[in-house]
Amino acid sequence: MKKTTILLLIALVVGGFVLSSAAFTVDETQTAIVIQLGRPVGDEALGPGLHFKLPLVQNVVFFDARILDFDAKPEEITTTDKKYMNVDSYTKWKIVNPLTFYTKVRTIQGARARLDDIVRSQLRVALGRYTLIEVVSHKRQEIMAAVTKRSKELLEPYGIDVLDVRIKRTDLPAENARSIFGRMKAERERQAKQYRSEGREASARIKAAADKERTIILADADKQAEILRGEGDALATKTYADALGQSPDFYAFTRSLEAYRKGFDKNSKFIITPKSPFLKYMQ
Amino acid sequence: MNWDWEKLQKQQQGRPGGKPPSFDDFQEQLEKFKNFKLPGWKFIVPIIILLWIASGFYIVEPDEVGVVKQFGQFNRVTTAGPNYHIPFPVESVLTPKVTQIRRVEFGFRSSGLARNLSFQQGVSREVKEESLMLTGDENIVSVQFIVQYMIKDAKNYLFNVNDPEMTLAHAGEAAMREVIGYGKIDDALTTGKQEIQVSTRTLMQEILDMYDTGLSVVAVQMQNVHPPDEVIDAFKDVASAREDKSRFINEAEAYQRDILPKARGEASHITNNALAYKEAKIRKAEGDAARFLSVLAEYNKAKDITRQRLYLETMEAILANPEIEKVIMSDDALRKSVPYLPLEKLPAAKQQPAPQPTQ
Repeated sequence: MKKTTILLLIALVVGGFVLSSAAFTVDETQTAIVIQLGRPVGDEALGPGLHFKLPLVQNVVFFDARILDFDAKPEEITTTDKKYMNVDSYTKWKIVNPLTFYTKVRTIQGARARLDDIVRSQLRVALGRYTLIEVVSHKRQEIMAAVTKRSKELLEPYGIDVLDVRIKRTDLPAENARSIFGRMKAERERQAKQYRSEGREASARIKAAADKERTIILADADKQAEILRGEGDALATKTYADALGQSPDFYAFTRSLEAYRKGFDKNSKFIITPKSPFLKYMQ
Repeated sequence: MNWDWEKLQKQQQGRPGGKPPSFDDFQEQLEKFKNFKLPGWKFIVPIIILLWIASGFYIVEPDEVGVVKQFGQFNRVTTAGPNYHIPFPVESVLTPKVTQIRRVEFGFRSSGLARNLSFQQGVSREVKEESLMLTGDENIVSVQFIVQYMIKDAKNYLFNVNDPEMTLAHAGEAAMREVIGYGKIDDALTTGKQEIQVSTRTLMQEILDMYDTGLSVVAVQMQNVHPPDEVIDAFKDVASAREDKSRFINEAEAYQRDILPKARGEASHITNNALAYKEAKIRKAEGDAARFLSVLAEYNKAKDITRQRLYLETMEAILANPEIEKVIMSDDALRKSVPYLPLEKLPAAKQQPAPQPTQ
């Protein structure tokens, strides 16, 4: 009874040990291949889950099954219009065939070296065909798609799939940036000048129009005033003529008398002869 | 542990004797070992098994989902609340926070440290190599923006990409630069912001979906968009020039609004003066005419006598003036005398010669 228990225990321990060295799990993020004495076993890589191998003679190599990132160093590239630009790109790639990958590249490090060679040269070739502004603006997607396609073809034999090569930054070297800043400054100065002189133009226009209007208003008033005065004078003249016309003789008489009264002032000398009607009764 | 301690006791007991433990001793110890061991097992094994089973319980918080892997392979997704999985080493669980909205900064760091720490008001530092971008019209603009994102598919998020956050950061930078590269600098600085945000968000989402990152871009928000430091003064001057322009116009309008009412006032003064002249003139004429007609009516009744009276009264008034020199001379004397007028002697006080009186 006791001995069987002991034996059972020992069997369990040994069995557990053998099983644990034979069983292995592959995580959802991984793939694996089994290597038997340096040679891959089977044609297919192992997906996630529980797997078994022969202890001691077989060992397992794990690979990352996720999309991996390759961030290249920024690189100075000459565009077709002889401008320099620093292009910073990244590449998204994936190990799709672990067996090939293991035999040809073996490690992620090795893959990065291949990616570096291929993607960089492809970028250089593609970007060299376009002008700077095409790279920055409307040809960007086209370039990225072309580089992605070509890199994908070139890296396929390594068991690598290139999903996307993407230009992250396109910067200008410092001296080119300076000349752009100079141009931007000049453009803005021109714009500022234009605004100010447009303002002055509008101001002069408005002031001149106002002056003109004032002159017209005053001239209109003067015109109106003369018309009114004329009307007054005319009406007055008519009134006088109507009244005085009833006896021009009497008007001449009274008006003359009034004129004498006002006309003779001090220092006037009056010589009267006795024949004057005034002296009629003195004779 | 119990038996260990006992064994140690035994060894210590045997040691003072100085002789090494014999096979008998070992046999004896083995017996003891078995004797002490067995009651322990009865308690410990079930407890260990219970603990092992209990370790399979886990709680998924409301903002999380549980992703269960069986031998490393994705098995199922569990939702909030208490859940159970077969304990280690068969199943394991990951609980990413899927409702949490995270935030990444581009072109600046508000905390001065890592790019995805929580937001702090105030302190922020521009990161020029990230913020400066070329625009489609070959200008350079500094764009600082944030991206808010969340996990939309926990399985993809956990298993598809080796570093989803870094991927998002790369995609954000590439997308914004691409969108800015299409547009003009003025769009980015002024009215085009909304459109840029929307396009960037769409493009980022496309990129992230292409990689199956399981991330969803909630919003792209431009924070601070300005011209580079080197040219900012020129840009500010444009703004003040625009202000100057409207100031000039306003000043001119003020001038206009000042002089035109004044002119209208003056015009009204002029016309009213004329109107007053007209009315006064008419009234004067009417008055004069009425007076004349009244006098005429009386004159007509007694023409001669009135004529005589008016004549005499006038002459009297003229001659009554002491200042007027009067000379009475007969016609003969006048005819005989030399018609001489000492004009230079006439006005003693006056410089001007008085008008020659005539009758």
